[in-house]
Amino acid sequence: MDAPVLELKGLSVAFGGVRAVHGVDLTLARGELLGLIGPNGAGKSTLLNLISGAIAPTSGQILFNGRSIVGIAPDQLCHLGISRTFQNIRLFPRMTVFENVALGLHARPHYSLADAFFCTPRACRMDAAARERANGLLEQVGLEGLAGKRAGDLSYGLQRRLELVRAMATEPELLLLDEPAAGMNEDECEQLTRLIRRIHEEFHYGVILIEHHIKVVMELCRDSRIYVMNLGEILSSGSPRDIQSDPKVISAYLGEKRTSHGQTRRQLSRSR
Amino acid sequence: MGYLSTICILSCINITAVLGLAVLTGYTGLFSIGHAGFMAIGAYSSAVLFLELNLPFWLVVPLGGLAAGCSSVIIGYPAFRGLGKLRGDYFAIATLGFSETVRLLLNNTYPHFGGAYGLTGIPPLTSLPVAAGVAVLALLGAHNLMTSQHGKNCVAVGQDEVAAQMMGVNLFTTKLKALFISAAYAGVAGALFGFYMTYLSPGNFGIGLSSDLLAAVVFGGMQSLIGPAVTAFLLVAIPEFLRFLVEWRLIIYGILFVVVMVYRPQGLLGYRDLDFSRFWRAVHGLRGRG
Repeated sequence: MDAPVLELKGLSVAFGGVRAVHGVDLTLARGELLGLIGPNGAGKSTLLNLISGAIAPTSGQILFNGRSIVGIAPDQLCHLGISRTFQNIRLFPRMTVFENVALGLHARPHYSLADAFFCTPRACRMDAAARERANGLLEQVGLEGLAGKRAGDLSYGLQRRLELVRAMATEPELLLLDEPAAGMNEDECEQLTRLIRRIHEEFHYGVILIEHHIKVVMELCRDSRIYVMNLGEILSSGSPRDIQSDPKVISAYLGEKRTSHGQTRRQLSRSR
Repeated sequence: MGYLSTICILSCINITAVLGLAVLTGYTGLFSIGHAGFMAIGAYSSAVLFLELNLPFWLVVPLGGLAAGCSSVIIGYPAFRGLGKLRGDYFAIATLGFSETVRLLLNNTYPHFGGAYGLTGIPPLTSLPVAAGVAVLALLGAHNLMTSQHGKNCVAVGQDEVAAQMMGVNLFTTKLKALFISAAYAGVAGALFGFYMTYLSPGNFGIGLSSDLLAAVVFGGMQSLIGPAVTAFLLVAIPEFLRFLVEWRLIIYGILFVVVMVYRPQGLLGYRDLDFSRFWRAVHGLRGRG
């Protein structure tokens, strides 16, 4: 059996007295697309920050391809094959679309400072190779016409798409998407769903997707699993269908409150 | 003629130093108010190498740059390393402390360095062609660097550190590279300065010089080389052209600064890269026809 790409074992982090993530166990098989949902403040983004090395866990293990990656800096994790997008878009706004993508290709420059200073043929050759790859990536997601535009001038939906391509440029094995559809309308959501599905099928990345748009998650994870988090812990996991009918999940989302007739709100919503 | 060439030589030296600072501050987003310290290291080390070891002029100038570049690691390593990472203003204060330390050390080192008396007997070897040649090389080199993969990483760090790191950019080495380059530029400028003035005193490299350099970068514009270069020239030239106003010139100079910063907060040529591609295309076109 193939070893899982990512394995979390009893992962916890506390900020002072707040247990943001507590005892999370999770496995992601090679090429699996996994959904992660939960109410605001459940610890979903914190979990991604832990995996991508932005914050260090208080206890527990993170295994990437069977190797512990706790304590490794984010830039090194990126070279190992973990890439991510951000909840609030973090493009380089004053760089062009092309430069944003190309950065992922040469975060470790392929030539020396002296080569750069004198613009040697070696440097030019390496630059040309990176340029070709970046343009290829832009074409794959239909952004090739905007290569010369400043990233900050793009529309919101296109910026989201660009951030996705930028994350792909580092050739990840594991792609962490933090609410890629946030703030998108119905149309844009559908486009994005198609794009993520296509990318996932074409490149076989392992993907962890945090998303509040239930439609997007249910569609993308229809053949795989969804984890539900609440108050820093995994509440439930399973296929979209299981999740939707899990009473624990419903109560976490809707809350449970006695009404004057002694019914819970859950029961109310069911009877409706 | 002598007067005009003085202005031109000092402008070229100033441009070289400012271009270096543009790499650090304009592109990588690290403010330094201590670049006079790197100029001092370049100036003194090149002069001492020339006077004591009789090394040739063309060798001691780059060596001065190298010395300044290496000395920048002394401050860059602890400032950018690990958990003690100094951000923004704190790094600026650290550079200020560094340059003052350098100045005071030079002020009190009498053997070979002349201490507070200054270092005399340096021959006047910085001619206008030399200064102009270095400035042009500095501009072309900085342009090549900033359009290279190294430079793009610097720009990315300057715009969003967190995102750059998540994209695989090593913040420590990238910042250290930018600091090294800018210090080396300042060192070369300092070396030329010494061989122009023929006399070095620690007092030449005070905080006034540092802030002039930083002002040129901010005034000239972020993420631009040509803006700071033009401003570096203007900062030398304008006070000279306004000399007939006697004491009033400094006031007008100050007012000019305030007016530009109010109406163009991004600087004169902020976020405009100079574009050589059109020029090269023209050159290739001519060559193709010929």
